[in-house]
Amino acid sequence: MRVSRFIIPVLVVVALLVGYSLRLAFTQPTTNISYARTGDTIENAQQATFIVEGVKCKGTASFFSSLYEDTPGVIAIETFASEHKAVFTYDPDVIGIEQIKSIMEAPIDFDDGTSEQVFRCLAVE
Amino acid sequence: MTVTNRHIRYTLLLVIIGLLVYLALGYGTRSFEAYCPFGGAESLWGLITQGEFTCALGPLNLSIMLALLGLALLSKKSFCGWACPIGLLGELGGKLGGRLWRKRPKVEKRTNGYLKLLRYVILVVVLYFTYHTGELILRGFDPFYLIFSGFGHGSLGWISIAVLGGIVVAALVVPMAFCRYLCPLGAVFDPFSRLGLLKVSRDDSSCTACGMCTQACPHEIGVDEIEVVRHRDCTNCLECVDVCPEDDVLSIRARL
Ligand code: SF4
Ligand code: SF4
Repeated sequence: MRVSRFIIPVLVVVALLVGYSLRLAFTQPTTNISYARTGDTIENAQQATFIVEGVKCKGTASFFSSLYEDTPGVIAIETFASEHKAVFTYDPDVIGIEQIKSIMEAPIDFDDGTSEQVFRCLAVE
Repeated sequence: MTVTNRHIRYTLLLVIIGLLVYLALGYGTRSFEAYCPFGGAESLWGLITQGEFTCALGPLNLSIMLALLGLALLSKKSFCGWACPIGLLGELGGKLGGRLWRKRPKVEKRTNGYLKLLRYVILVVVLYFTYHTGELILRGFDPFYLIFSGFGHGSLGWISIAVLGGIVVAALVVPMAFCRYLCPLGAVFDPFSRLGLLKVSRDDSSCTACGMCTQACPHEIGVDEIEVVRHRDCTNCLECVDVCPEDDVLSIRARL
């Protein structure tokens, strides 16, 4: 059966779009850490998604999450390295979005005495 | 002006390259590497054995690879001819080489066949090292990564420059040299492309046997000697269709 010559570019574009949309079916968290402590009011908890430059692999995602280990009000962090995304579950009575953002954007002190900003918040959804 | 298949193809390629440059410059929320379909093959083992993606790879690599395998079943290696920047590099190198050489050296058929086996060797080597280390340690040899990252993190200095230079020079001698002999993604596509439904078909009764189609084919497929192009390397680029001087001799047909 003879087909139009335009079918080839149409199929290529459709395949790329299908591939792009299908990604959601394979998306799974890179890290999923709970910091829930006694006293956190889980019923009150809210979620916020941050797009973070610097969260790009398992190592950076784990390091990123560890920044909040001792932060009151941060209940859980789920990261998606491929999407450069971190989903925070937090207690809004204890901590706000601006505070969460300032922690990730604070310069980090390294062992060699230098200090550098490692993560940058690109957007909050 | 007639809009040729090449006009449409180059326009699509330019749009895709533009998007990749946009991502490579740090705009957008993902790295350009997230869109590389070969990353899907590289991440598969880690996903199966450890339930996680390898290094910087992610779900988008995998979903794009799966969609492109489906595309290969429908339309052979169309991705390579219509969307891959490295394919375009090989093609343009081949065209430029055609102008530079008075008589381009021809790779003998049997040698050409043996050299094509190299892409399977490379596929095995890349997958082995990626699965073994859990890192993309061969980035320094990957032309796609080297070009769009600007020899970024993981490149190997002069070795990477030599690799990319070698690929460009090889394309001047043998059109599509990287795609033909070295591309591991091409090796992944091969069995699917062989089955590809849409094929260039030649109407032997109206063909004047001028041979222009074969000359135009970047993969040097002997279109003028066959009635249906089943060759696994055909990218359905339609260069042969564009160049054929006779009306309706070459067409695309759905054929098993
Ligand atoms: S046979 Fe035709 S469509 Fe296939 S690769 Fe060669 S020129 Fe392109
Ligand atoms: S270019 Fe057209 S006419 Fe010439 S050999 Fe090929 S199919 Fe036949």
